[in-house]
Amino acid sequence: MRDSRRPDLDRFPELAKAWDRRQFVKSAAVGTAFMALGGALVRIAGDDLSKQARAEKRSDGRTRLPPGQRALDELRPMGGEEGDGDVRRWKLRVHGLCKSPFELDYAELLKLPQVQKEADVHCVTGWSLVGGLWKGVPIATLAEKAEVKSEARFVIFEAAHGYTANAPLKEATADTAMVTYRLNGKPLALQHGAPVRGLVPDLYFWKSAKWLTGIKFVKADEPGYWETRGYNNHADPWKEERYA
Amino acid sequence: MPEVAEAVAGQTPPKPPATRHQGAGATIKKRWRAWLRAIHRDIGYLAVGFTVLYALSGIAMNHIDDWDPNFHASETTHKITPIPDELSDADATQRIAAAAGVTGKLEDTFRAGDEVRLTYTNGSKVTAIGDTVTVQLRRDRLFFRVADWLHATRGKQAWKFIADAYAALLLYLAISGIFMIRGRLGLRWRGATLIVVGLAAPIGYIVVSGGPGAQNTEKVAARPGEVDPPRPPKPSTDGITPLPPDDDAPPRRN
Repeated sequence: MRDSRRPDLDRFPELAKAWDRRQFVKSAAVGTAFMALGGALVRIAGDDLSKQARAEKRSDGRTRLPPGQRALDELRPMGGEEGDGDVRRWKLRVHGLCKSPFELDYAELLKLPQVQKEADVHCVTGWSLVGGLWKGVPIATLAEKAEVKSEARFVIFEAAHGYTANAPLKEATADTAMVTYRLNGKPLALQHGAPVRGLVPDLYFWKSAKWLTGIKFVKADEPGYWETRGYNNHADPWKEERYA
Repeated sequence: MPEVAEAVAGQTPPKPPATRHQGAGATIKKRWRAWLRAIHRDIGYLAVGFTVLYALSGIAMNHIDDWDPNFHASETTHKITPIPDELSDADATQRIAAAAGVTGKLEDTFRAGDEVRLTYTNGSKVTAIGDTVTVQLRRDRLFFRVADWLHATRGKQAWKFIADAYAALLLYLAISGIFMIRGRLGLRWRGATLIVVGLAAPIGYIVVSGGPGAQNTEKVAARPGEVDPPRPPKPSTDGITPLPPDDDAPPRRN
């Protein structure tokens, strides 16, 4: 049966080209929509790790997986201007509102009291790494060593090429917050911030600055690289504080 | 139209009808659409390279949480007998290098805490921690490494201006495209319909998602009650370099 909308191409052959183009555009649109839908369904149906993480609760009563996140079992490289990653040249400057600012190198960092903790991290783009085992030095230990003054309210993470990220002092010195150099028993890869990155797992992961070079304690907040580019200043994943 | 009829009969071109505009102004007024199309065409040619670069790298970076658009990265692990502290650096290096199986020239060895790190001139990084040797290696993806680098304008002063110029050209292409064709294929029907469809996508997404204002935001301010006072200091006995206080130092800029 002939399509009633189809022009009589025998009588009007000059319309054949336009009709063919229309059919092509329709087919392309339907095909693209079908592929996109199929891909989304495959991703959703096969995501057991996310289902499991959503069903679990943290000790503070919040769901293990924040809203809008899907769980992964390894970090994704999210870009950024890398540091050189060389432990021989790496130094960390701890300074700002403190009585005893200091600078240490990688070997000295390893001599400080270490912790190893399991923590989930949550990228603002929508993925979360669940169950990572992180090793490093608590930021609270560095704060204690630097004798942070009582008026300090915020921590500024300083990284290669001038990148900065800010976090309230309380969250940056929480139990799970640290400067970390090892994940699941392996050294951090360069694309993940080697040799040392910050780790503030209860805030979106951009706060955990890669290629860390400094930690500064300040009284007044100093929004950092992403915070001044439309991302949220606080970045709580459970409140979906993604954007400003 | 007697003049036209006479002209056709005599095979001489008809005189153009008199208009209120004369000279260059009249020509531009009559021919503006042709100029618009000609400039659109040439800018389109200019934009081909940029568009391919930005489109492909944009897609690559959109899906950065699914793959690494910049590098082929590999990480392999091998088991060894843990390196005892008393083993010399040379012997430790030899044992780790043998376990790692990396071919290439060793550039440097670094040993601190429970780690021994070997760096090779081919970029391989080998780290021994306890009984595990991790070999990390990555290679650039030929096109995307460069395209992604160009796409992110951060820190590239000159390229930022070039990218701005490209954005301006894109604006011209978008706006001139609206007026290129008259009639049903233009703004009267097809063009208007497709413009509305194109606008509906972002507007629909904003409406459905609630837009950025829908985020449950909490502005951070100084919250004295939430801040734990620092613990009492301990004397420094570990040789870490003390720094002078920098209370008055200006904040570093991004």
